[in-house]
Order: sequence, then C-alpha cells, then structure tokens
Amino acid sequence: MLITFLQRTLWLVALVAAQMMVFNYVHLFGYATPLPYVYLLLIFPLGTARWSIMLWGFVCGLLCDFVSLTMGIGAASMTLAAFVQPLLLKYMAPKDAVDNMQASFHELSFWGYVRYSGILTFIFSATYFLLLSSSFFHLYDFTIAFTSSWILTLILCLAIERVRGGKHHAKES
Amino acid sequence: MRALLDFIAKYYHWLIFVVLEGVSLMLLFQFNRYQHSLWITALTEMVSKVQAAEAEALRYLTLGRANEQLTRRNIILEYNLEQATRQIAILTHDSTGTERIQAERINGLELIPAKIVTNSIKRRDNLITIDAGEADGIHEEMGVVCGTGLVGIVYRTSKHFSVILPLLNSHSHISCRLRGSEYFGHLTWDGGNPLFAQLDDIPRHARFNIGDIVETSGFSSVFPPGIFVGKVDAIGNSDDGLSYKLRVHLATDFATLQDVCVVAQQFQPEVQELEQQSDSLIAL
Repeated sequence: MLITFLQRTLWLVALVAAQMMVFNYVHLFGYATPLPYVYLLLIFPLGTARWSIMLWGFVCGLLCDFVSLTMGIGAASMTLAAFVQPLLLKYMAPKDAVDNMQASFHELSFWGYVRYSGILTFIFSATYFLLLSSSFFHLYDFTIAFTSSWILTLILCLAIERVRGGKHHAKES
Repeated sequence: MRALLDFIAKYYHWLIFVVLEGVSLMLLFQFNRYQHSLWITALTEMVSKVQAAEAEALRYLTLGRANEQLTRRNIILEYNLEQATRQIAILTHDSTGTERIQAERINGLELIPAKIVTNSIKRRDNLITIDAGEADGIHEEMGVVCGTGLVGIVYRTSKHFSVILPLLNSHSHISCRLRGSEYFGHLTWDGGNPLFAQLDDIPRHARFNIGDIVETSGFSSVFPPGIFVGKVDAIGNSDDGLSYKLRVHLATDFATLQDVCVVAQQFQPEVQELEQQSDSLIAL
C-alpha cells in the first residue's frame, strides 16, 4: 500500500517536473504543447477507488497549474479525466481480466491501449483547451492547438508506457 | 437522515467530483484574468436577464390595475367621442352634406347665372326680376335656384330681363318629395311668414319625422330631382283630412336673396311641347 503510494508520488513528481522543466517550453509550430502528466491517470489499475483517482488527478493538475500559471485549468481537466478513467478501463478491459489489472500494451493489446489512452487524453486535452480558450470565437486556432497537443500528448504517453512496460517485463522475466 | 447518509455513501464520488471541479473552476476564474473577465461578463448578463425577467413579472402582476385604469379612461373617451360626433353631425348636416348632394344633383345641367333686380316678400303674390333674359338663353318655365335651395320658376321673359314666380307666390305649385322616401306633394305658400311654406297631399300612410328634408321630386321638366327645398317643421292635416299638410322651413331666405341661377335642362322644350299636345288631346 505504502509502496504503491510512494510509486504514485514518484510518478507525480516526475511528471510535474518534466512538465515544468521541459514540456512547458515546447510549442511545436506555435500550437502543439504536450501535456503528458495525464499519464498519471493511465497507471491506476482496475478496482482503484474513484475518489482516490480523482484526488490524485486533482493534485497533479493543480501542481502543474502552479508551474504553468494556468491556475485551475489543469486541475479541472485532470479531475474530469480521473472521473471517467475507472469506467473507461472497465469497459476496455478483457472479460477475464484480474481485479487489479493495470492497463498496458500487454494487458489490453497495442491497439486496445492506444484506444484507451487516446480516449482519456482526448477528454483531458479537450477540456483543457476548452477552458483555456473559454470560447469558440477562434475555432480554427482552438482546433489546431487542441488536435496537435492531443496527438503529441498521446504519442508521449504511449512512449512513456512503452518504456515503463519494457522495464516491467524485463523485471518480470 | 439515514436515507440522506445512504445516498451520500452511495454517490460520494459524485460529490467529490463536484467539489473538486468547483474548486478548480473557482481557481480558474479567480486567478486567470481573461477567464475572470468572461465570468464577470457572463455573470452580469445573467443577473441582468434575471432582473429583466423579474421586472417583466412585476409588470405582468400590475396589469390588472393598469387594465382597470385603461377601461375607465376608455369609457370617458367613448363618451367624448359620442358627444363630438353628435356636434359634428349637427354642424355639418345642413350645410356640407346638403351642398354636396345639391352639387351632385345639378351636375351636368346648364346653369345661367343672374342677379336680382327687384324683389318683394310682403305681398301675397310676390315676383322677382333678374338681369338675364332671352339673350342669355332663358325662356319661360325654366327653374331658378340659389346657393341654398329652390327659388321659383321663370314666368315672363324679355330680351335682357326675366320675371320669376317665386315660392312666395300663391300661384306657385312645385312638386316636392321627402328625401329617403317616394312620397311627394305640392309646395305652396299661403302668405304670412316668408320662411315657411306648405307641402300638401302627403298620404296618411307615409312615415316621416320633423326635420326630414324636402326636395324636388323631378316630376316635371322644370326642376331635376333632389334640389334642396327645406325641412319639415310641423305636421298637420289637410282641409279634407285625407292627407297630411306639412309646414316646411324653407332653405332659401328670400329677404337676403341676391344671386340666382336659372336651370336649363337639355330636353325641356321637347318635353313641354309633348305635354301641351297631350293636354290638347284631353281637352278634345
């Protein structure tokens, strides 16, 4: 329990630090800003209490807001994505999945994990950029920024999962 | 209470979600200038709409009193309108309407203007002389009218003057009728007041009122129908009691008469010749 908590805390600190020091300075083509801290929600296994995921998501989003000067936007987006995550994972998990199954390429298959992480990052990115623009007056800019950031975030999440999953399999073997 | 606790225990994640989202949005609108201004704008608009709806509702609730005041005001205005309509009817009935009808009646006729040379109203058989005669196209048995109504019939003519047999003459008998009905009689004057004449031979079954208009009937070649003569002033019986004898307030004031017009009808000579021939046959 404690190890799990420390592991999640470590992930939280690492993702926030990466966002603060690296990804906040990335603006591909002037539009795409990656927000890979949403990956924190992807590591919660099946059966995790909903309130717990929401609290982790809220704290992570709030910390990123502090370092990104986007107060409230990340927290609200992460909370919504965290609210959806258990339902989504339950829906995407195979029928014979164990109670504490953790989403990965191995458990959900490659495309299954892409769909799972794609939907979750889509919900997060859409909420984030919607709150950021707070209107549809600049629909073109909104669409470009949201789509490019979503794709970039998804790619980074998949890359992190690939690295993490690879290490996990190496440990198991 | 227990049900409430059970409900919260069952849906506590919803409660947490709402609280966390609420905190996030509060931070969003509090610390982001753009979103803050949007929030203030939206809030102001919302408050304005609520206030407008409240004002509208209050106006609706006070409509009953406004309706009562409007009804009272409407009654007063209706009464004033009725009074004004009556006044207008009284003021325009004898002049505008009558002149218009008379203008319509004499439209299409040839009118020969003339001025009064001599006039009298005190005798039993009065006569009027005008300054137009045969040279102006006037001949005997032509009708004479003035601006307000009937005057008489041309009696004698010379080259430049004519003598008229006016209504104020005991030998004058002009066929007249009551406007709006087909009952007719003969207009005569029995002396006395020059403002009044008598309309004889109105049948007993005729329906009319005091104030009804008397006009020419058109049953002769002298006057066209519809020339204004006067109004019924009093109702009486004829000497034999078989018909009504009406006193008519004449429209023409003979005491102040100055300008007249002689009415020249297109087929008058032809009609008169035919009538004379018919009279000759009856005499045989």
